[in-house]
Amino acid sequence: MLVESIISNGLAVGAVYALIGIAYNVMFSASRVFSFTAGSVGMLGGVFGAILISRMGMPVVVGFLLTLLLGAILGIITEIVAVRPVLKSLDQHLYVLSTLAIALMIQQLTAIYFSTDAVPFPRVIPIEPGIFDQKFWLPILACILTVLGLEYLSRHTLIGRAFLAIAEDNYAARALGLPEAGLRMASYALAGMISVLAGFAAGQLLFASLANGPLLNFYGFVPVALGGMGSNRGAVIGGLALGLFQQTANYFFGGIFSSVAVFIVFIVVLLVRPEGLAGAATARRV
Amino acid sequence: MPTSAREPLLQIKDLSAGYGKIGVLRNIDMVVYPGEIVAMLGPNGAGKTTLLRAISGLLPWTGSISFAGTSLARISPRDAANQGLVHVVEGHRVFTQLSVEDNVLLAGYDLPAAQRRQQVEEALDFFPEIKAKRNDKAVTLSGGQQQMLAVAQGLVRKPRLLMLDEPSAGLSPVLVDRVLAAAGQLRAAMTAVLLVEQLIEKSLAIADRVYALARGTVVLEAQASEPGLPQRLEHVYFGRDGQAGHGPSPAAGAAHAT
Amino acid sequence: MTAESAPTVGGAATSSTWLPGWFEAWFPVILLAVVGGSLPLWGDSFFGIIATRVCVYWVLVSGLNLVVGFAGQLAIGWVSLLTIGAYVASALAAGRVTPEIPAYVALVIAAMFGAVFGFIAGLPALRLRTFYFAMTTLGLSTIVTQIALAWRSVTGGGVGIPGPSMPAPFDTPWGFYYFTLILALICTWMTCNIAASRFGRSLVAVRDAEVAAEAVGIYKPGLLMTVFLFSGALAGLAGGLFATLQSYITPDAFTFDLSVLFFIAILIGGRGSILGPLLGTAVLTVLPEFAAPLVQWSTFLYAFLLLVIVLLVPGGIADLLDFRNRKPLDQHREIRPRPELLTKVLEDRKRQSVLELKGIVLAFGGVRAVDGVDLQLTTGEVHGLIGPNGSGKTTMLNVISGYYAPQQGSVKQDGTDFTREGSYTRARHKIARTFQTPRIIGESSVIDNVMIGGTLDGHASFVEAMLLLPRQRRDEKHLREKAMAALTLVGLERIAGVRADRLQHSELRFVEIARALMVEPSFLLLDEPAAGLSVDEIERLGELIKAISRRGTGVLLVEHHADLIFDICDRVTVLNLGKVLASGSPDYIRSHREVINAYLGA
Repeated sequence: MLVESIISNGLAVGAVYALIGIAYNVMFSASRVFSFTAGSVGMLGGVFGAILISRMGMPVVVGFLLTLLLGAILGIITEIVAVRPVLKSLDQHLYVLSTLAIALMIQQLTAIYFSTDAVPFPRVIPIEPGIFDQKFWLPILACILTVLGLEYLSRHTLIGRAFLAIAEDNYAARALGLPEAGLRMASYALAGMISVLAGFAAGQLLFASLANGPLLNFYGFVPVALGGMGSNRGAVIGGLALGLFQQTANYFFGGIFSSVAVFIVFIVVLLVRPEGLAGAATARRV
Repeated sequence: MPTSAREPLLQIKDLSAGYGKIGVLRNIDMVVYPGEIVAMLGPNGAGKTTLLRAISGLLPWTGSISFAGTSLARISPRDAANQGLVHVVEGHRVFTQLSVEDNVLLAGYDLPAAQRRQQVEEALDFFPEIKAKRNDKAVTLSGGQQQMLAVAQGLVRKPRLLMLDEPSAGLSPVLVDRVLAAAGQLRAAMTAVLLVEQLIEKSLAIADRVYALARGTVVLEAQASEPGLPQRLEHVYFGRDGQAGHGPSPAAGAAHAT
Repeated sequence: MTAESAPTVGGAATSSTWLPGWFEAWFPVILLAVVGGSLPLWGDSFFGIIATRVCVYWVLVSGLNLVVGFAGQLAIGWVSLLTIGAYVASALAAGRVTPEIPAYVALVIAAMFGAVFGFIAGLPALRLRTFYFAMTTLGLSTIVTQIALAWRSVTGGGVGIPGPSMPAPFDTPWGFYYFTLILALICTWMTCNIAASRFGRSLVAVRDAEVAAEAVGIYKPGLLMTVFLFSGALAGLAGGLFATLQSYITPDAFTFDLSVLFFIAILIGGRGSILGPLLGTAVLTVLPEFAAPLVQWSTFLYAFLLLVIVLLVPGGIADLLDFRNRKPLDQHREIRPRPELLTKVLEDRKRQSVLELKGIVLAFGGVRAVDGVDLQLTTGEVHGLIGPNGSGKTTMLNVISGYYAPQQGSVKQDGTDFTREGSYTRARHKIARTFQTPRIIGESSVIDNVMIGGTLDGHASFVEAMLLLPRQRRDEKHLREKAMAALTLVGLERIAGVRADRLQHSELRFVEIARALMVEPSFLLLDEPAAGLSVDEIERLGELIKAISRRGTGVLLVEHHADLIFDICDRVTVLNLGKVLASGSPDYIRSHREVINAYLGA
C-alpha cells in the first residue's frame, strides 16, 4: 500500500510538473523567453474549474472547455502585454520583470476574488474512488495526451513545423515569410491551455489553491532547467522523477528535507552545468 | 539587356538604414528591372547584407522602396514574399531539425495547400541532389546542399524578384556554378535576381548589371559587360576610388573611378 | 547648445550649475536626515511607526540596491535574508540557543548571518543569468519560510517568538525610530560612497557591458561576492530591526509580498540610483497605510507599477528627476581628437615589447575558424589585420584578449605565456581593446565610462571606498583627472557629463578608445574602429591611432576600410579561411596578387 501510494502520488504530481515544464518550453521555443506565468496560470486551472463547475454548476465538459479557453486568453494577454513589447529591447532581463508582474497580478486577483485558502475541486468523472483514483490518473492522462498532441502537431501539421522552425532560427523564419508574431501568440495560447490543463487535471489532487502558483512555478521549472530548455522529453522525465523523489522523501524524511534537497540539487546541477543535464553549451558572447 | 523604356521592378530612392544608432546605408539609389540579374558587389562591411535586409523588411529604413509599382514602406518580410519579393538570407540558414521537404513546404506557408504541393515539387526540381534526400533532416546535408535548399526555399513562391545573399559562401567552385546556374534559369523564366556576392568574376559572368557598394553608398553602377570593369572594382575594394562621399552617379554606366 | 562651458577637470561629471558636487552626491543622505530628523516635529506616533518601517526596509533595500539596481542581478527573494536576520536576532536575544544575548550584539550577529547567507544566495549568480537566478532566490525564500515553520525549538514554529527589545534610550517608539533612522542614514551614506567609487562603476559595467568590464580587468566573481556579502549583512541587520519593530514574529510575517516590495521599490526608483529607490521604498511603504482600501490591493498595485515601469519608464523615478540630461545637446558636434595631448595620458614607452602568437588553432564545432596563425605585434607599430568575412580576424582578436582559449598555439608577451588566462587578466598585462559594436554603459556618464578603464589603477579596498577614507579620495581624484585628460585627447571633453546613450555612434567609438587608453596599454586592439564613421572622422581616427603607436604602444587594427589600413599601418597581415595569406608592408600587400584575388573572389 505504501509503495503504491508513493508511486501514484509521485507520478501524478510529477505529471503536473511535467505539464508546467512543457508550458515553459512551448513559450520558450517561440520567444526565447521564460515566463513566470506558467505556474500561476496552472494554479488558475484548478481555480477556474472550482468556480465554473462547483460554484456556478456548469457541466464538467463545459467548465473544462471554458477553462481551456480562459487559459488560452491568458496566454495571449501575456504575450501581448508582457512579452512582445520587451522582445525588441536590448535589455535581456526585462521579460523576467514583465512576466513576474503579470504572475503577481494573477495571484493577487485570485486572492481577492477567489480565496486565499485551498478549495475542494469537483469530481470530474462520476465514478467511485478506488485505489488508483482519478485524482492520480487524470494528471498522468493529461500529460500523455499533451505529449501525443504536441507530437502530432509537429509531425503532421504545417503549423507544428512552423513552430519548430521559429524555435530553431527565428531570423531565418521571419525572412522566409513565416508569420512569426502570429505563431508566437499561438504558442502562448497553447502554453496557457497546457498550464490550465495541468491545474484542472490536478484539481482533485492539489485542490484549487492560491499557494499552487509559486510551487508549480518553481517545481515546473526545475525539470526544464535540469533537462535542458526547450526539451519536452527532459521536462517529462525530469518532472516524473521530481514527483517520485519528492513523495518518497516526504514520506521518509519529511517535507522540509525534500524541499531543501530539491533546491540543493537544482542549484548544484545548474552551477556545474548551467545549460542543464541534457542541454548544449551556449553560443559565443563576443 | 534592359532598356530604360521598361518599368523598373524594384526602385529604391534615397534609402538609409542601419542598426539602432549605427547608420550603415546612406542615400542608396538603385533599380532592378524585370528578368535581369543584378550583382551587388563591394568590400566587407559595405552594407550589402544590410541593404537586402532593408528591402525585404527585416530592418527599418527611411527613403523609398517600391516594388512593381507599390511602396514597400512598413511591410514585413511575409508581405514582401506575398508580393513576389523573396529574400534568401546569408549563411544557408535552413531549419536543420526539419526534413528537406518540410523546409521547402514552410517557404510556401501562405499558399493554398494544393498549389504549395505543386510549387514545392517545381522548386525541388531545380536541384535533383536534394530532391533525392527530401525525407532526410536538413542537418544531414552538406553545406552546398543546404545552400541549394535555401535557394529552393526562395523559389517556392515563384518570386518576381529573388534576392540571394552570398549563395557561394563556403561552397566548392563546382557547387558555386550549380547554384549560380539556377539564377540563370530563373532569368529565363523572367524572374529578376539581386545577387550579393564576394566572387566577382563569377558574378560578372552571369549578371546583366552591377552595383558596387562601399561605406554604405553606391559607388559604382555599370553594365556587367563593360570593358575595364574588374579594374574599377579593384579600386572600390582597395580604396582610392575618388568617389567617397559623392553618392551614386546620376545615370547607368556613368560612374568612373580615377 | 550644450550647457558645458570650458572643460573643468573633475567637476564636469557631477556638478550642476548651482550646487556644489558634494551636495548632489550626498543628496539622498541629506534628504533623509532633514525629513527623517524633523518627523517628530510634524508627525504623530502613527507616522512614527510607519517611518520606522520605512527606515528598516531601507536598510535592507539600500544594500539590495547594489545587487539589483547596480549589478543588475534579479534577486527577487531577498525576504529570505530578512527572515534569517529576524530569527537569528530574536532567538539569540530570547536565549533560545545560547544564554540571552544583548540586543546590540544580537543585531551584529544577525548581520553576520545575513552576510553569510547573502553570499550563499549570491553564489548561483556567478553562473546563472536572469530568470534562473531569479528562480533560485525565489526557491530560497520558500525554503527559509518552511524551515522557520518546522524548526520549532528555535523559531517557535507557527506560534512565533518575541523580537529583541532594545535597551534605553531606544526602547520607546520614538527612540527606536531614531535608532533605525541613524542606521538608515549610515547605510545611505555608505552606499552613496560605494556607488561613486570604482566599485559602483564596476558593478554597473558588469551589468551593462560585461565583456568590456572584463577587458579592463574587472573580476566579476570577486566583485559580486563582495556586494552579496555587504547586501546580505544589511538584510540580516534589517531582519533584526524588523523583529524588534514587530515585537513578535511568526513565519506569516515574512510573505513574498515583502520581497516584491523591496524589489519593486528599486525598479520604480530607477536602476543605478540611490535617491530613486529611497523614494520608492518610502512611497511603497507609506501608500497602503494611508489608503486603507489599498492594503488588500497593494501587491497588485506594485505589480502593476512594475509593468508600467518596465514598459513605459525603464529608468524609473531617477530618470524622471534627471533634469540635466534633458537639455538638448548640440546637434552638430564634431569630434576633433588632439593627438598632441597624448603625453598627458600615455607615458612614453622606452622599452620595446613583443606580443607573439604562434600556431593558433581554434575550431567551432569542427569548423576551423583560425587554423595555425602566427602573428607578431611590436610596440610602436600599427599592425593591420585584414581579410574577407569569416577569415578569422575577430576570432584572433578574441584569442589575444582572452575570450577564447585556443585549442593549440600560444600567446606570449616578452616570453610570458598567458594563452589560457581569462580575459580579465589582459588589462594587467597592459593589453586593451575596443569592440566592433561599442560596449558602453548607456546609463552612465561619458566620463564614468572612461573611468571604468582605470579600474586597475584604484588602490582603495571596498571598505575604504565604503567609508570614504583618504586613499579612496586620492584614487577618485587621480582617476577623474586621468579620464578627463583621455576625453580631452579624443576631443569629447565637452560632453563628459552627458549620459553615454545620448551620444552619436561615432562618438561612442572614441569613448571606447579613451577607455582603452586608461589602461595605458602596451598593446591596443581595435576592432573595426572606423565602421560607421564619416570620411573626415576616419581621417582623424587614423592620425590618432598613428600618434598612439608613436608613443610606444603597439596597435592591432582589424578593419575593412582599405584606405585607413594602407595609410597608417606599418605592417599588414592578411587572413583568408583562417590562415595567413600574406604579411608585409602595405605596399607589398597592395600589389600581392593572391590578396587581390582573395578579396575579389577570383
